Amino acid sequence: MEIKVNFLNKTYKIILEKEGDFYKIIINEKKYEVSDFTICAGGISFRVNGNFFSINYAEDKDKKFIAVDGEYYVFEPEKMEKKKTGTVATEKSNIVVSPMPGLLVKVPVKIGDKVQTGTTLAIVEAMKMQNELRTPIDGVVKKINYKEGEQVDAFVPIVELET
Amino acid sequence: MFKKILIANRGEIAIRVARACKEMGIKTVGVYSTADKESLYLRYCDEAVCIGDPAPLSSYLNIPVIIDSAKKTGVEAVHPGYGFLAENPTFAKACEENSIIFIGPSAKALALVGDKVASRITAKKIGAPIIPGMEISGREIKDFLNMAKQVGYPVIVKAALGGGGKGMHIAKDDKELKESIEMSRREAKSAFGDESVYIEKYLEKPRHIEFQVLRDKHGNVVHLCERECSIQRRHQKIIEETPSPVLTSQLREKMGDTAKKIITAAEYVNAGTVEFLMDQNKNFYFLEVNARVQVEHPITEMVTGIDIVKRQILIASGEKLDIKQGDVFQRGHAIEARIYAEDPDNNFLPSPGKILFVQEPQGPGIRVDSGIYSGWNVPAHYDPILSKLIVWSESRLDTIARTIQALNNYVILGIKTNIPFLKRIIETPQFSKGELHTHFIDENLSSLLPKHENINVALITAALQSLNKKQVSITEERISLSETNPWLEIGKWEICFH
Repeated sequence: MEIKVNFLNKTYKIILEKEGDFYKIIINEKKYEVSDFTICAGGISFRVNGNFFSINYAEDKDKKFIAVDGEYYVFEPEKMEKKKTGTVATEKSNIVVSPMPGLLVKVPVKIGDKVQTGTTLAIVEAMKMQNELRTPIDGVVKKINYKEGEQVDAFVPIVELET
Repeated sequence: MFKKILIANRGEIAIRVARACKEMGIKTVGVYSTADKESLYLRYCDEAVCIGDPAPLSSYLNIPVIIDSAKKTGVEAVHPGYGFLAENPTFAKACEENSIIFIGPSAKALALVGDKVASRITAKKIGAPIIPGMEISGREIKDFLNMAKQVGYPVIVKAALGGGGKGMHIAKDDKELKESIEMSRREAKSAFGDESVYIEKYLEKPRHIEFQVLRDKHGNVVHLCERECSIQRRHQKIIEETPSPVLTSQLREKMGDTAKKIITAAEYVNAGTVEFLMDQNKNFYFLEVNARVQVEHPITEMVTGIDIVKRQILIASGEKLDIKQGDVFQRGHAIEARIYAEDPDNNFLPSPGKILFVQEPQGPGIRVDSGIYSGWNVPAHYDPILSKLIVWSESRLDTIARTIQALNNYVILGIKTNIPFLKRIIETPQFSKGELHTHFIDENLSSLLPKHENINVALITAALQSLNKKQVSITEERISLSETNPWLEIGKWEICFH
């Protein structure tokens, strides 16, 4: 069996084979021998290369949530489309989206405004924190899809720019 | 003693108050917005009243509806918790006018200490050192610019009715100051319903040290020693401890006396906290009075053995304080870590949503004040605080070790939380050495980044998880069972009017 998961924009390939009493797992060409595998209420325990682990996990739709000693991992299936992030622009996009659901408190620009990289295009508030959505590019405001005071979902276009 | 009180709050603090009431034989009324219909705290109350829509202004900040609920349910007193209406003199006054006891200071004392500017003047009068800054809230931008020029940049803009870090912004020049004032006013309006702001000089690398004070209606006053709350992110405390690693008994006595004098001068009755900033030469300055039960009150309870919430209720009912200053001492050490629904790997973005699994740590010296359960949807409308982990042990280093283990065993799956971040802070050598100040996080950011050291163990878990789909569904069934349990107890009766 082979599975692929995404974690923080990186894909990991895991190969799993049953060999007698144990499982052979290969991650990035590194081999692990897994034995004493038991699964119980919200947890999995197993022995890998001699060390014993007891791990909490949960699943929702395609997502796997795993906690290992105060560290957290959320794995998504490989094919899942990469989401655009609005705030810290890792990708240069002419569409500004909110990375979280919340209340659109302010749109300090209007259609036709010329904006420079870093200009605040919208402010979204959730859990009492205001998040400023800044443009990663220079451009002209082409479209504003929501009014101040409206509720916005995560990853929906709020302001669109023309370059 | 009261027979029934209304808790005008939500989340873990509503549960904390409800627990104290149950132990004292007092019935409780919980209030909720439509977003909190399924929240855990309502399960701890004897009655529940719906007070409106999710937006705080139409529910938890809606004074007429809350007063109306209090009258209809026949309570004698209201406990406001922290945040929302806890420090709102208009609310305290509305309670007084409707013959309901507000479990907190009088409207008059609240107005005085709640106005950060007026309280600075009071502190100055009794000879407490204060940070240079405005003695009135500013209206015109030029007033702010003039004051900034006088005290020198950087300055900090604060909401006059503020607290909990909301509405605070630092400015390094005139341009930033103008922007900060606008931001602060907007946030203050939304969080406290009042947009007054003021500025003061911003101290570099100070420690935040506060004193818990109790004062009764008969003028008796004691302090319950200090809490050091220097670990803050965006002016919001996230880790607190007591005793402070730098306080000598001499300094403790001096600061405690100052705190008691300020509380007495303000004719303040009930539990209150006097906050100080301390510079690197151990000079302390009065910051403000927090006129409420603090989020971090449990660490004081752990080392002094005094139940602050019960004392609040006793004082409000007119009882005499039976604790003398000489009876108060600190035993061992306590640390609190606040668990927030935010993503430490992605700019601390709020992370509302469904909790799939919760496992709280247990063991000697471990206390969890929590408002969550498996299967609950964390609403996006309120503060991201989910719960508080409070750990006690004999010494500071023992407590640090116990806190790290407790964080390892605190599992919340389905939403992002700051648990890994809290753990990384406590694991730094600087934290162990007690080298704390309010810019600790910014200064140590490079050692606080996620390491993801256990990625391969997590990947193996993911593979085994895929292998055992069938057994996984059994687990899901277990989770859904546990999420129905709290519901079996609800709704002895509920009324809805708004």
